[in-house]
Amino acid sequence: MLDYTFQYGQIWPYLPRLIDGAYLALEIAFLSFCGGLLIGTANASLLSFGPQWIAKPIQAFVVFFTNTPQLVQIYFLYFALPDAGILLSSYAAVLIGMTLNAGAYLTEIQRAGFSTRRQSEMEAAIVLGFSRWQQIRYVILPHIARVLFPPLSNHFIIMTLGTSMAAIFGVEELTGQALNINSITFRSLEIFSVVAALYIAITLLASLALGLLGSLLFRTKLRVI
Amino acid sequence: MVIIWRSALHHLVIKDLSAHYGTVQVLDSINLEIARGEVVGLMGPSGSGKSSILRVLTGLTPLSAGSVSLNGEVINYSSAESVRNMRERSAIVFQQYNLFQNMTALENVTIAPVKIRNRDPEEVEAEARALLSKVGLTDQISRYPDQLSGGQQQRVAIARALALKPEILLLDEITAALDPELVSDVLDTIRALASEGMTMIIVSHEMGFMREVSHRIAFMAQGNIIECGKAEQIFNSPREARTREFVSKILKH
Ligand SMILES: Nc1ncnc2c1ncn2[C@@H]1O[C@H](COP(=O)(O)OP(=O)(O)O)[C@@H](O)[C@H]1O
Ligand SMILES: [Mg+2]
Repeated sequence: MLDYTFQYGQIWPYLPRLIDGAYLALEIAFLSFCGGLLIGTANASLLSFGPQWIAKPIQAFVVFFTNTPQLVQIYFLYFALPDAGILLSSYAAVLIGMTLNAGAYLTEIQRAGFSTRRQSEMEAAIVLGFSRWQQIRYVILPHIARVLFPPLSNHFIIMTLGTSMAAIFGVEELTGQALNINSITFRSLEIFSVVAALYIAITLLASLALGLLGSLLFRTKLRVI
Repeated sequence: MVIIWRSALHHLVIKDLSAHYGTVQVLDSINLEIARGEVVGLMGPSGSGKSSILRVLTGLTPLSAGSVSLNGEVINYSSAESVRNMRERSAIVFQQYNLFQNMTALENVTIAPVKIRNRDPEEVEAEARALLSKVGLTDQISRYPDQLSGGQQQRVAIARALALKPEILLLDEITAALDPELVSDVLDTIRALASEGMTMIIVSHEMGFMREVSHRIAFMAQGNIIECGKAEQIFNSPREARTREFVSKILKH
């Protein structure tokens, strides 16, 4: 059955391109994660501390982006917006789509984190004379950051893998590069096994970096796999 | 004139104090006068309102009637200024410690003096180290609460309360969550404070300790102070049936 002979020799020359692709994948994940984090933090803060009327539009945003496929969202940005006179490059469409999608998920994750603030610590702060702002600064935020670090890290890893759909729009990230090289060499098994290894390498690298950061900042247990 | 003189004599005067959670009355016209340097023990079955008194005093739970005076001045709990004054002069230690989990033992003690009172960090740190060693913690001050035992956390909480140099210390069942072998360390700390003349309200079920350290004991049931008197009297010849029943139950343990 398996009488296939692997010929990695043919694809080695393309390795630098794959590594460039892996770098671009990390870049897309990082930028859209940061954008999503901003949206998510703003939304979760508004949901927890903001006026009542703001909850409905935020919930609508979250429901829309967590209940439609990411791919469809980017298609919409890429193919539907030009009709409205807004032209996006494929890179920009992917970045904006992933940012909005991440914003929705990170709103949900952070809203859950915000609700874990412990009343008992707050009361201790109140009787020690902390102002509202000091309670937020010294008690609420550090606690929320610590609680949220692991789920946010996980979402970043998921987003790193999710960048592969950018290939569909012709972005030359890791999967995109693989498709290109495949159409030149037709060594699909070799290419995609190397690509899989590279995805594992970047997610391990990211997990390790995040794990170290977490244990430094928040004393969270370092656990990569 | 006489009345002013009497209230000036008292450090804390609780007068006809009532409190409600929703429609449920948890404190029913409480009266208690505490002299400077006096240690008053609060005893009573669980749910009788002991914690509620301490919470009302510190402004964590609103009062629905009555008044509290500190050094002869009535505290206005709807004025931020007045509440701040009360909180600057008093400190509360909770049964569950309520330490800041994201700070080390030392930081728990220094944060309020440095950030709230804007005092010199180095001076505060030296004081905090002295306080922590006074409560028997010298090697653990860089640890976080989740790296400390219950008794150690409780002593950090006491040091944190003392760091603001309160005139009045409110202690809510601070040994209830501790393993028996840890209780004596914490009680030693409180004993030392009492002998230094700190005004205290102590909620505790440690009979021997309460007898030794309290000048007076108030027995509570269902939001009322049933009787209040010297420790000997409350334990040996309680006037009220409910006190007698409670004391005999506790002594059997
Ligand atoms: N946050 C709250 N909401 C509603 N009821 C409460 C709350 N806290 C305490 N209570 C009720 O108030 C009563 C007195 O409670 P508490 O002062 O804690 O008693 P103790 O400290 O003597 O055990 C109890 O019946 C308790 O159930
Ligand atoms: Mg209680």
